[in-house]
Amino acid sequence: MTDKNSETGPTIIEAQAYPGVIMTQVDHAVNWFRKSSIWYLLFATACCGIELMQTGGPRTDLDRFGAVFRATPRQSDLLIVAGTITYKMADRVRLLWAQMADPKYVIAMGSCANTGGLFQRSYSVVCGVDKVVPVDLYLPGCPPRPEALNEAILRLQEKMYGEHWLDKMRGA
Amino acid sequence: MQPVEIHEKIQNTFGADVAVFKPELIDPAIEIQPEKILEVCRFLRDDGDLKFDFLRSLSGVDLNDAFEVVYHLYSYAKRHYLVVKTRMNREEPSVDSVAGVWPTANWHERETYDLFGIDFKGHPKLTRLFMPEDWVGYPMRKDYVNPTEYHGIPCTREEGAPVTRHEVEGHPTVQQAMHEKKCPETMGFMRLNMGPHHPATHGVLNLLLETDGEILKRAVPDVGYLHRGIEKLAEDNAYIGTMPYTDRIDYLGAMFGNHAWALAVEKLAGIETPPRAEYCRIIASELNRIASHLIGTGTVSMDLGAFTPFVHWLRERETINDIMEFICGSRLTYNYMRFGGVARDIEQSTVDMILRWLDHFEPMIDEFNRLISGNEIFIKRLAHVGVISPEEAAAHGLVGPNLRASGVNFDIRRDEPYSIYPDLKFDVIVGEGFEGEVGDSFDRFYCRVLEIRESVRLVRQACEAMPAGDIQGKVKKVLKPEANEVYARVESARGEMGMYVISDGSDKPYRMKTRTGSYTAMAVMEHLSPGLLIADLVAVFGSLDIVAPEVDR
Repeated sequence: MTDKNSETGPTIIEAQAYPGVIMTQVDHAVNWFRKSSIWYLLFATACCGIELMQTGGPRTDLDRFGAVFRATPRQSDLLIVAGTITYKMADRVRLLWAQMADPKYVIAMGSCANTGGLFQRSYSVVCGVDKVVPVDLYLPGCPPRPEALNEAILRLQEKMYGEHWLDKMRGA
Repeated sequence: MQPVEIHEKIQNTFGADVAVFKPELIDPAIEIQPEKILEVCRFLRDDGDLKFDFLRSLSGVDLNDAFEVVYHLYSYAKRHYLVVKTRMNREEPSVDSVAGVWPTANWHERETYDLFGIDFKGHPKLTRLFMPEDWVGYPMRKDYVNPTEYHGIPCTREEGAPVTRHEVEGHPTVQQAMHEKKCPETMGFMRLNMGPHHPATHGVLNLLLETDGEILKRAVPDVGYLHRGIEKLAEDNAYIGTMPYTDRIDYLGAMFGNHAWALAVEKLAGIETPPRAEYCRIIASELNRIASHLIGTGTVSMDLGAFTPFVHWLRERETINDIMEFICGSRLTYNYMRFGGVARDIEQSTVDMILRWLDHFEPMIDEFNRLISGNEIFIKRLAHVGVISPEEAAAHGLVGPNLRASGVNFDIRRDEPYSIYPDLKFDVIVGEGFEGEVGDSFDRFYCRVLEIRESVRLVRQACEAMPAGDIQGKVKKVLKPEANEVYARVESARGEMGMYVISDGSDKPYRMKTRTGSYTAMAVMEHLSPGLLIADLVAVFGSLDIVAPEVDR
């Protein structure tokens, strides 16, 4: 079976003899479950946090993609770094990331989280959250619109879908 | 009483050489000898004719050859203001603390110590406020050089590659917390960290709790997790270049940051604003106030477990965001005002849209009240909880809805009017113990709900009375105000948003200091917390409507 399932979707064989039964690869099924239940950490530091809130709100409604917020990192798959990270905050971000369950992803939301943005010449601001935790997806904007964050979640779903998480767990 | 009369009064009491009057400044100041500052401040507070019961702001200034501490005072009783200064040498800067005179000075002095290294003698706890404890140097000094790295994190974008998974997993802080499980020693009381990542703190605010079971011994706010150094960055930017930063001081009420900054610089450079621009400003500001109060009141209900009202408000807020896009092209960080005007006109089609939306929105306030404000459980959670008396509110420097909920009838829009507020009719909402007693958490919540209605009234009036004309006055391309200093303030959604600006004749501000509402609201937590239940702490915290970047800046 080819691995390019991110474009084609999972290979599903419907068993004609047994109605209601479908067959597919475990990897595909697991990935499909994973991408359809991205629980993100309710973590907002600055302005982007308000747009994050609006994204979860009634108009953009992230829930329809299975993405709901969790208050504790132990139950989250995704850390959306929404806002500026200062040196004082850096340790806490690192800890939050470490407490999340694998597999975990990070979206750097907004210019501050990408590069330090407006505040990169400041004495107290980290120039990009990728200097503190590994980042999977950079989302530009100051702040990004809810539609943009929505798009980022969809891109992340694509990325998840192309991974072989079972292989990773067994081997590498 | 005028500053010149106050100066005479001080001279008569303390001797002629104690105080020097500076009439050349826009807000005339009195310079006091540093040794006498405590006595003079106590006199200013206690004297029957003066009664300066409110320390608006305390700022440090680096004058290259000396340090200056500036006190902005106001009297609610007498409705007059005063600027007091004191100057000290640069080698060993030290002055008496006035935290015993006005409790609100406690945090202001800690901030000044943190950023300027000025020692306040007699301060109860002079430690760093914003920066980490092990930070080297005082960032707001003019000769400060940014570090190259802090705890292994490089301080420029160019240096260093992005970290990998393994690096983070092996990091000492992660190792220590996740594997060695080190707990702090307990001393009879349980110590808890509430924040900086906590759903009820709305952003990165940290409260260190000492609890005896469910009852708090005290909650000590630990701030600075979002200290972005906006005041220092403003010194590197041209006057207009600071405008986008003022959006981000209070992102829920970005328009007020814009307005305060515009007012300050206009006062400094003597710029006139055409009437239509003033109307544009007020329409945008009041819409912004509605949007901010929607979040403020919505999150209180969410923190106490009612999610539905919050989602209702988020839906309404989306429409305000749409209108804001029509007004200034942005949803959240507006960057709308310019010196002597605004960036874009509000067209008639937008005005119609606003009026249509207001017709839809006004009944929604009643629906919100039906949903939550009259809810028995909700009222029981808020009424009689976290009561602040009017005297406490003034002494701790509370402003805006928090102050008015305590029964102090004061609104900058009415009492120190700016822009077109004198032409508009609105009521100042004062707490009257709607469900419990004056100054409790329910009053703070409900004052905001009522203020939404007043803002609707204001927007309606402004939309209907909007004159035709220009939206931009005449302003030089490169603004170089003469050397002077000014303090301008507006009534933001969280109270007084004040900007203290010093110019030295160049195209950049010499010093910019922001005084914000959330700052003092956060500082009062330590005073309010003893004896509260942990669950009540969330209610009090929510009712104070604190926004993290306003505290930290």
